[in-house]
Amino acid sequence: MKQMRILVADDDPVIRRLLEKRLSENGYDVTVVSDGMEAARLVDRKRFDVVITDLVMPGDIGGIELLQVVKDRDIATEVIVITAYSSIDTAVDAMKKGAVDYLEKPINFEELFLRLDKIAQVRALIRNAGDLREAMDVTEASAAQTIQQLEITAGDLQLRLDQLRRILGRDDRPPEARIAEALGLLGREQG
Amino acid sequence: MLKITPEELKVITRYIHEISGIHLDAGKKYLLETRLSSIAEELGCSNYMELYQKAKRDARRQIQQQIIDAISTNETLFFRDEGPFKLLQYKILPELIDARTPKSSFMKTPIRIWSAASSTGQELYSIAIVIRELVGNDISKFNFKLLGTDISDSAVAQASRGRYNKFEIERGLPRDKLNRYFTLRGGFWQVKDELRAMVHFRKLNLMLPFSGLGKFDIVFCRNVAIYFTMEDRKKLFNKIADILEPDGYLVIGSTESLTGICSRFKPKRHLRSIFYQLQ
Repeated sequence: MKQMRILVADDDPVIRRLLEKRLSENGYDVTVVSDGMEAARLVDRKRFDVVITDLVMPGDIGGIELLQVVKDRDIATEVIVITAYSSIDTAVDAMKKGAVDYLEKPINFEELFLRLDKIAQVRALIRNAGDLREAMDVTEASAAQTIQQLEITAGDLQLRLDQLRRILGRDDRPPEARIAEALGLLGREQG
Repeated sequence: MLKITPEELKVITRYIHEISGIHLDAGKKYLLETRLSSIAEELGCSNYMELYQKAKRDARRQIQQQIIDAISTNETLFFRDEGPFKLLQYKILPELIDARTPKSSFMKTPIRIWSAASSTGQELYSIAIVIRELVGNDISKFNFKLLGTDISDSAVAQASRGRYNKFEIERGLPRDKLNRYFTLRGGFWQVKDELRAMVHFRKLNLMLPFSGLGKFDIVFCRNVAIYFTMEDRKKLFNKIADILEPDGYLVIGSTESLTGICSRFKPKRHLRSIFYQLQ
């Protein structure tokens, strides 16, 4: 599976550093930024598999706004929001707007990794479904071609068989002559 | 998503054919867009012509590889279509083992098996499982060499790693075999060493000459030629005929046929499956 590319947006330097360290230790390709503006700029230039963003950040672009920017850019990018208060409302609002999940501070990394695994699995499944659809498509087209080819071959063989049967069945001629002609026909085809 | 123009479609499909042999017709516009737009955008290309030019100029061929990885489809099922595996277990392997078992026990004649488009490894590991099931603990008495090749770098890497998620593994692989040959590790199923040690994966473009591959006793070339043109199929099976041992076996996809493609092979039937041998 390909390494997932994650963007972290959080104004808290401690959380930023912690997320960067733990995520890269676990094999993720991590980029961290300190506010929503910068995150929005980056998202516009680069593709991320997952964006992890704080809900409350200084400046015009908070977590909810960033979520919208991300989803406008690429619907397939998943967003996980981090919320300082255990306020379910804000998190639910984010999820209604398309966030895949939320995490409460302090961040439980076990939980985060579990969610990232799930996201990776879903992405792999989507890719697999696409591959299977394509494979089915090509197989079907090719099988149709194969059947056509076989039908033509079978038709040709049937024609030759009929010819042989006709030659061999001619009672008005001596058997040797019939056999000779049949062999002649076969020989011509082989040559 | 970046849209592809009819002119770009022509250029890109020709390029893909050139680098991979994969033949895509105009009906594959959507496939190309979904698979290539992220690569194009990632490289800062504003259209597919730019992507094509960048790929052509890239001396390290990384972009070319990215395109191949994106376009090639990966088979993700173990024991996909059980026919060929039954054929292997009840017909091909017993016959080959008889034919290759040497008179003296000092020299073990290798039995070489090739999965020509191994994708992420499921087919070759399935073959390895059939062998283990068939010979059991006598495995050390034989010299099986299993090679898997694929055109996609990322598929080869994943096959070598032998790590599968539950969706990739649970269909097709019964529980007992799963537990016997895989270990659950961090949410993924990892191929056990006994199986991993039997196989080897490397990158190979089937359109290029098969130099250095050696001869094979069994070749699995299922559901790959269907992506090629008729001309390329003919070339491919002709090359396979060259590297197959005189009494070797070729297994192709169950919806495929070599009629009109390669007359050097003769179809043979066993139970409900077909395999091919040299004339």
